[in-house]
Amino acid sequence: MATTELLEPAPALRRRTVPLGRIALYVTLSVVSLLMVVPFAWMVLTSLRTPVEIASQDAGLLPEHWEFGNYADALKAAPFATYARNSFIIAISHTVLNVLVASMAGYALARIRFRGSEMIFYLFVAALMIPTYTKVLPEFLIVRFMPLAGGNDILGQGGSGWLDSWWALIVPGAVTPFAVFLFRQFYLDLPVELEEAARLDGLGEYRIYSRIMSPQVKPAFITVALLTFESSWNNFLWPLLVTHTDSLRVIQVGLSVFKTENGTQWHFLMAGTTLATLPMVVLFLIGQRYFVQGFATAGLK
Amino acid sequence: MGATTVVKARPARPPSPPETSAPLRTGRVPTGPGRRRRRAGMLMVAPALLHASLWIGLPVVVSVALAFTKYDVLTAPEFVGLDNFRDMLDDAVFRKSIVNTLLYTFFTVPFGMALGLLVALALHTGLKARGIFRTAVFLPQVTATVAIALVWLWIYNPGNGLLNTMLAFLGVDGPAWLASTTWALPSVILVGIWQGIGMKMLIYLAALQSLPRELYEAASVDGASRVRQFFSITLPLLKPATFFVLITSMISAFQSFDQIYILTDGGPANSTTMMTYEIYKSAFREFRVGYASAQSLVLFVLLMGFTLVNKRIMGGSRGHN
Repeated sequence: MATTELLEPAPALRRRTVPLGRIALYVTLSVVSLLMVVPFAWMVLTSLRTPVEIASQDAGLLPEHWEFGNYADALKAAPFATYARNSFIIAISHTVLNVLVASMAGYALARIRFRGSEMIFYLFVAALMIPTYTKVLPEFLIVRFMPLAGGNDILGQGGSGWLDSWWALIVPGAVTPFAVFLFRQFYLDLPVELEEAARLDGLGEYRIYSRIMSPQVKPAFITVALLTFESSWNNFLWPLLVTHTDSLRVIQVGLSVFKTENGTQWHFLMAGTTLATLPMVVLFLIGQRYFVQGFATAGLK
Repeated sequence: MGATTVVKARPARPPSPPETSAPLRTGRVPTGPGRRRRRAGMLMVAPALLHASLWIGLPVVVSVALAFTKYDVLTAPEFVGLDNFRDMLDDAVFRKSIVNTLLYTFFTVPFGMALGLLVALALHTGLKARGIFRTAVFLPQVTATVAIALVWLWIYNPGNGLLNTMLAFLGVDGPAWLASTTWALPSVILVGIWQGIGMKMLIYLAALQSLPRELYEAASVDGASRVRQFFSITLPLLKPATFFVLITSMISAFQSFDQIYILTDGGPANSTTMMTYEIYKSAFREFRVGYASAQSLVLFVLLMGFTLVNKRIMGGSRGHN
């Protein structure tokens, strides 16, 4: 270091600290990133090992023989395909419903003033702050005592209501106050001339919402869609509470049941976990920009 | 709105009464497009409002009401006054769960925030490949907590999990992490910190990017060192972001459940049980729904209390949210 200092002209002296700092920065960030990625790599590597290799004390870093057959066997050991299909149906339903219902509400609250619109907005903000654990028990009871469903009479007695049904899995979580809030913020920023012009052209309010204003806030739609899909796919507590039959089980609950029943079959468990994780990782890599935007607004998982 | 009504009164459409929110109060029945517009607004907000009323509003009311009852789902709830809260005082496991929840929160949140801020600062220097680093750090955040807990369950495996294998390589005999009353809670906390860094980093990074550059230039001219700049400029300006991260992280840390369910089931000897886990157990394993509602009310009040205290200390936040 001393020699380069002498050889270099004076102005370079100040810049000398930058590359050094840069290197330290790269090293630190690499170590941190490695710590974040290693568990994922460990998951995938385990899913490709033989049980014998997993049990042995002196296995190498990489599998001796890449057992891709583990995935086919895991799908046979537990109906992971059914679980994934169920999760997919629910996540898609939540996404479509949330985008549709919340964008309409967000639009109305942002662009139309009507009796009570301000109060309704504050109600949504308040709803945003209610913790899951304050809602979840009564939500379960409402599902359980849903009138005229699952053998219930009009008072919600006698049957099991919506328990163990698609209704319970889809309806209660379909619309989130956060999505309403986020849509409203986006619609607020649009210029008023846009809708005035459309109104002059004789367009009705619904058309203005769907044809004129909504195409202007595509990022909001993508952000809400991605975040809704992600949280729906990753949800564990609610499906755990309202379903019991294997055919309605979602992937996260399926994994936890598999863990309880076959706790030592790490190669299958990690294969299943990889299958459950992969769609989210891919989705995140594709839509990273929107995830970042959405999470920076939400802060909540 | 006043100015735009001028534009509206064009021959294409008969002049309509000026559209403001004021006429609502005049008692006159509004007619014409203004009324149609307001009706459309109400109809558009109705589905979301109905949904929130049934699945958030009603549950909050029911939850508070049930907290003062004895209820097992099968027979009608019976009003018992403050009995549930009195029972809670004698419930050593629930007390333990409160302590654990607080410990978990007080370790994961500040440590996660410090690490998140450090990574954000490192990424804010404008180095190449920052996208890759950001992706890596944020990855755990989009992954299901169940999946993450399963992977860490395997990492913590006492026999040949990754952690003990590596420790053995260094000549250290690792404990049975999740089966030890000493190590189980720290192990769970470590997973919490690990998973949460990404979100905290992201919010700090967004805040850093919005800081005014001129301030730093002025400070450099005045000869302030970078450390001095950080403590005198960056940190104070990050206050709203810090408040936001603190509140949101605390809310999610307080409600951790999935990782407990997978990693330890609250054990060993209740050393990792959390308030959420006790609520779940009371309601769905013991069918004491009234008691569980009372417990969830305590959780809610604690959370609100901490939020208000934070707001007081941080002097409120403007700018974010």
